[in-house]
Amino acid sequence: MTVVPEVESVECIRPTPWTVDALVGPARAQTVLDDDAKREIRRAVLTAVAIPGYQVPFGSREMPVARGWGSGGLQITLALAGSADCVKVIDQGDDDGVNAVNLRRLVTRATGATETSEVDEATLVQTRHRIPEDDLADGQVLILQVPVPEPLRGVERDMRELRRMHAEADYAKMWVSLYEDKVRNGVITQSTGYPCLVNDRYVVATTPIPRWDVPRLNHAPFLSLFGAGREKRIYAIPPDTAVVPMTFDDVPFEVEHTPGARCDRCDTDDTYLVAVPGGIGERWVCSDTSRCRRHRTRPSRIAAVTS
Amino acid sequence: MGYVAASGGRDAIEAAEELIRASQAAANSDPLTNDQITQRFGAAVDRVMGEGGLWEPDLAAAALRQAEGDTIEAAHLLRAHRSTMPRFGDSGVADADELEVLRRVVPAYQRPPGSQILGRTSDYSGRLLDTAEHTAHCRNGTPGGLDNETRRRDVDGSNIERRPRRLMALLRDLDLVVDRRRENDPAPFDITRMAVRPPAPRSARLAVMARAETGALVNIWYRNILGPDGYLHEITLGEVRHGRLPVRVDHPVTGRTVAIGTVRVTEVEAIEDLDGAGEDRERFDVGYGMCLGHNEKKAIAMANLDIACHRDGGRSQLEQSLLLTTDGLDATGFLEHLKLPHYVTFRSMVERKLAVRSAADPAVADNAGSVGDVDHTSTDVMASAEATA
Repeated sequence: MTVVPEVESVECIRPTPWTVDALVGPARAQTVLDDDAKREIRRAVLTAVAIPGYQVPFGSREMPVARGWGSGGLQITLALAGSADCVKVIDQGDDDGVNAVNLRRLVTRATGATETSEVDEATLVQTRHRIPEDDLADGQVLILQVPVPEPLRGVERDMRELRRMHAEADYAKMWVSLYEDKVRNGVITQSTGYPCLVNDRYVVATTPIPRWDVPRLNHAPFLSLFGAGREKRIYAIPPDTAVVPMTFDDVPFEVEHTPGARCDRCDTDDTYLVAVPGGIGERWVCSDTSRCRRHRTRPSRIAAVTS
Repeated sequence: MGYVAASGGRDAIEAAEELIRASQAAANSDPLTNDQITQRFGAAVDRVMGEGGLWEPDLAAAALRQAEGDTIEAAHLLRAHRSTMPRFGDSGVADADELEVLRRVVPAYQRPPGSQILGRTSDYSGRLLDTAEHTAHCRNGTPGGLDNETRRRDVDGSNIERRPRRLMALLRDLDLVVDRRRENDPAPFDITRMAVRPPAPRSARLAVMARAETGALVNIWYRNILGPDGYLHEITLGEVRHGRLPVRVDHPVTGRTVAIGTVRVTEVEAIEDLDGAGEDRERFDVGYGMCLGHNEKKAIAMANLDIACHRDGGRSQLEQSLLLTTDGLDATGFLEHLKLPHYVTFRSMVERKLAVRSAADPAVADNAGSVGDVDHTSTDVMASAEATA
């Protein structure tokens, strides 16, 4: 409410004039998303949590980053984050990737949240294509940037039919596709974004996180929110929810593994490793740079791989 | 502990931004003012306002300047700017018959009801490149811009009808057009607040096309004329109008409807010959297009696709193409995201390639599986692969 200052004449006691300026209110520092939009997104998030795996349509706004560059994850983060929050933002597992830096910069400026590269300090972790190797706890929120939220697009293009398939939990085409893949290629060739059945009801696209990360969504203690800004969808995997990769009883789900590969910096073979091509054969480093730095046992033999 | 920079990502993007600042500062000409952009690059400003979905010439000019002339990037800046603003009202329904025309072309009749107004156009000017920097737009040219003869002939003519009767009205009088007017008046679908997907109401299709990227809409139109899709044929244009349309809102205090200004729009009505089985062969049907600013390419494509989508009736995926693939920000954002790092996904794809190889031939698998071993050289692996081939 506007506080009316003490005045002498009755004429001055008027409500604030209804001008455009008065309606808009005072300018705030680098607003990215107006408050009504934040409320709308929080409501979509609540719906998504209530129906695990269901893609909730929402009125995705245009962000200062292009669509396809994390605009969906960014909207969720902006809708949830406040000045009491601490955010970690990673791209490919790296806190210092250029897109992670840009998004973190936007979030901290717009919300007043602090920033960290350590999982245990973060209240919100926004990520593109990885789940941090360190365990997230109950109460922490993982926000995944989603380029393609529709897991069935590879087997069906028509959105009307896709809607029916999800509504009726008719995933037969997906099963046939996986079976044909196995028969033709000897293995299931789906690399990342492996389709998973959530809470025994909806099939979801696991962004494109590697298969390595998929088992960690199953009965996870943390809340996962998936934001697809371009396609205007939000979906969620609430804590302690069953997430089962689609595979057959006699075909085990395989995560990425290369025999003999170890991180060149921290010497582990128990994280998701990415290849570094070199003159004398391939070497490997952790994709999760924060965890790797803490576990480093020796100076890197590869100078500034990701810079 | 906070955020620890490990690989210089922050330094790199700050350096990239500095390169833009430095090159602009180093230019040996004055920065463009908003007036220069709105007055000299009117077509670009109108296009950005249309695709940005926001009528504000000065903001569009600022966006074009910041985007260095890239219209899609400028539309992005406008829309992201709008996302920062609360919405505190809707305008009333605009009556297109109130359009005060600056230009009106009716190709379907030589002498239609109301005037044909050629207006400001280069349609019939030879496309001869004028390389002189200063003559074409000389500030010191004809005082007041127009000579009296031009003013009398084209611009100021008091005998010109500024709100001419529509050709549609004539066609209705002649009972030559299918009557699709509806009794109820549902609120239009708001594409900025709801995710649109097929099947969608016509208002959603029209809103999507009004904001669509011009080139995308023109391409969908043309690929349906000449390309593989072929859902539409050439229409006859009934109206091509460019003019000013008043915008009215209910005053928040008095409740009275007040005009708060005008927007310029391009409006098109497209007459379609109904020749399909089960269609009314005695009559035409009409498609509609309207977009912000002067953009006839877009409005014509829109009107033709509107009627094509109606006639298609959901048989093909034309509606999905229109609703989901014509937004400039969506398409270019996703296209350009391919430049982002993808090494996590690519590593996973490489791993599957090797898995397929090992499933096909276990002998190769022994070698392929050890590609990552630092003790193996790549030539070793290649030699082994040759040996087993």
